Amino acid sequence: MQSNQTFADVFRARGVSRRDFLKFCSLTSVYLGLSPSMVPNIVQAMENKPRTPVIWLHGLECTCCSESFIRSSHPSIEDLLFNMISLDYDDLLSAAAGHQLEDQRRKIMKEYKGKYILAVEGNASTKDDGVYCMVGGDSFLNTLKETAADAAAIIAWGSCASFGCVQNADPNPTGAAPVSDIIKNKPIVKVPGCPPISEVMTGVITHFHTFGTLPDLDRLGRPKAFYNTRIHDKCYRRAFFDAGMFVPSFDDEATRKGWCLYKMGCKGPTTYNSCSKIQWNGGTSFPIGSGHPCIGCSEPHFWDRGPFYQRLAEVPFLGSDSNADKIGVIAVGAAAAGAAAHAAVTAVKKAKADKDNTDKA
Amino acid sequence: MGRIIEEIYVWRLPVRLYHWINALCMVTLFVTGMYIAAPLLSPPLGEAVWYKGMAWWRYMHFVFAFIFIANFLFRLYWALFGGDKYARFGGFRPWSPSWWGTPFKEQVAAYLFLRSDEPNYVGHNPVAALAHFLFIFCGSTFMIFSGLAMYGENNPAGFSETLFGWMIPLFGGSYTLHFIHHLGAWMLPIYVIMHLYAVVRHDVVDRTSVTSSIITGYKHKVEEEPV
Ligand code: HEM
Ligand code: SF4
Ligand code: SF4
Repeated sequence: MQSNQTFADVFRARGVSRRDFLKFCSLTSVYLGLSPSMVPNIVQAMENKPRTPVIWLHGLECTCCSESFIRSSHPSIEDLLFNMISLDYDDLLSAAAGHQLEDQRRKIMKEYKGKYILAVEGNASTKDDGVYCMVGGDSFLNTLKETAADAAAIIAWGSCASFGCVQNADPNPTGAAPVSDIIKNKPIVKVPGCPPISEVMTGVITHFHTFGTLPDLDRLGRPKAFYNTRIHDKCYRRAFFDAGMFVPSFDDEATRKGWCLYKMGCKGPTTYNSCSKIQWNGGTSFPIGSGHPCIGCSEPHFWDRGPFYQRLAEVPFLGSDSNADKIGVIAVGAAAAGAAAHAAVTAVKKAKADKDNTDKA
Repeated sequence: MGRIIEEIYVWRLPVRLYHWINALCMVTLFVTGMYIAAPLLSPPLGEAVWYKGMAWWRYMHFVFAFIFIANFLFRLYWALFGGDKYARFGGFRPWSPSWWGTPFKEQVAAYLFLRSDEPNYVGHNPVAALAHFLFIFCGSTFMIFSGLAMYGENNPAGFSETLFGWMIPLFGGSYTLHFIHHLGAWMLPIYVIMHLYAVVRHDVVDRTSVTSSIITGYKHKVEEEPV
């Protein structure tokens, strides 16, 4: 596969009709939230622009992002896209291995200096010089810095690369840090989720390829097209939420009726992602659709905001697990006890002063 | 009770109105907010389309939130431009070391029973001023900013999100902001306990009718009680 072929060349070589190609472009524009007038731009880019070289690195991670990515479920479209990306280096998927592969990475870094996209899955251990994640004989921390230096932009795949995920959950023994903590001088797109939805992943790449720029990002560095609304805002169970019809426990009649999972700890009201819009596995379903509350997998530090099946997070307070209400009640109790003690002293003092006055009189 | 020797008009009508509207809003916000966090009532029977069980509580939270905000802004206006000598912030200068000097120390000492007599103030004493600054000014500002940031969440790029959305990354995400807003709600009962206690105590100790002053507006100076 030549890396300077255009997408359209590859589509043609694979026997995809022009009609299917245009369908792909329109669908992509819909996923990206672009207006129909932008479809020609996508077609134009896909036909004329040489494919964008991508180096895909794997750090501390579970590979769920890659698993999601390769499971795009419209085979005629997403699978093709997967084959079409000029994925020049991916230590997980490459046939080559060892020095051969590392040489390939350096070659691309030189050949496409300042032009390639660095896609990072997972994050880097920063403690003890990064020894807790060694890839290809070097620490991932070093490889990441080295490869990022000449990249045009970085895509941080998944919650690990974006925010840290389980690796940097308390107490974070390996000093795991998200990409944005390590690389400061490159544009970074965060595509959080554990894993992110495959159409979101392909959409971000298509946007970069089409416009040569990163998509519009929100305040946390996520593409607005996919992350600017919450699960809760588009959830089909929202009517039950507004009506106050909640599932009280999993083995309940209300569960069968599909009521709102808020009381089961649903983090949908605080989670920005596309699950309730695009859904998973080609629109088959999404967690809430299958009766499970959202655990907020695309939000920063969601592992430390648990338990998953409780609305109110437990936090360490005075050496034990507590929540906002327990802390509040303790503080109110302390204030009440303080006031009572103060009142008692005041009363004693006043009685004494009154007595002194009487004695004087 | 000793004879009243002086009657001072301390809390003018706007201040008293502010006080009671604020009290009503805060209690309502606390109750509705806690309900939002833990909706306790049993679900209604029948189809969801007929009911607004949760929506109503949230709606009430927002209605009182906006009254609360307007009232708060009014109080700021009154302090700055009302020309009301007991309602302005003029005397409150925590950045200057002299503010923490003798009057503040005397008041703290009195509260800690380190002095036998109590300094007397017509308006707020320095410790009360500090407590109000922390709980009412900073506390309300925080609840308003965090509240408006969450309020904007369902309408990205809307008014509230544009102006207050920066609170979300500042507190490390939407969930944390909800959590801190929830934790912040507990400032209210703590403040109420301290406030009511201090007011009643001052009434008993200094007999300045501070409790009724927030209804009538008048504080009194009373003759030393003959015993
Ligand atoms: C004294 C002031 C206030 C108190 C005591 C209070 C209390 C609360 C509490 C306890 C919650 C539940 C949080 C949770 O666990 O999810 C809440 C939610 C909320 N509050 Fe407040 N609040 C106050 C002021 C405000 C203000 C000024 C606004 C501005 C609009 C506001 C907007 C909200 C919003 C948007 C929510 C989230 C509702 C939802 O998740 O459905 N609050 N409040
Ligand atoms: S199930 Fe979760 S996301 Fe859906 S309406 Fe209920 S709380 Fe919101
Ligand atoms: S519904 Fe929530 S927890 Fe589930 S995949 Fe989507 S964002 Fe993650």
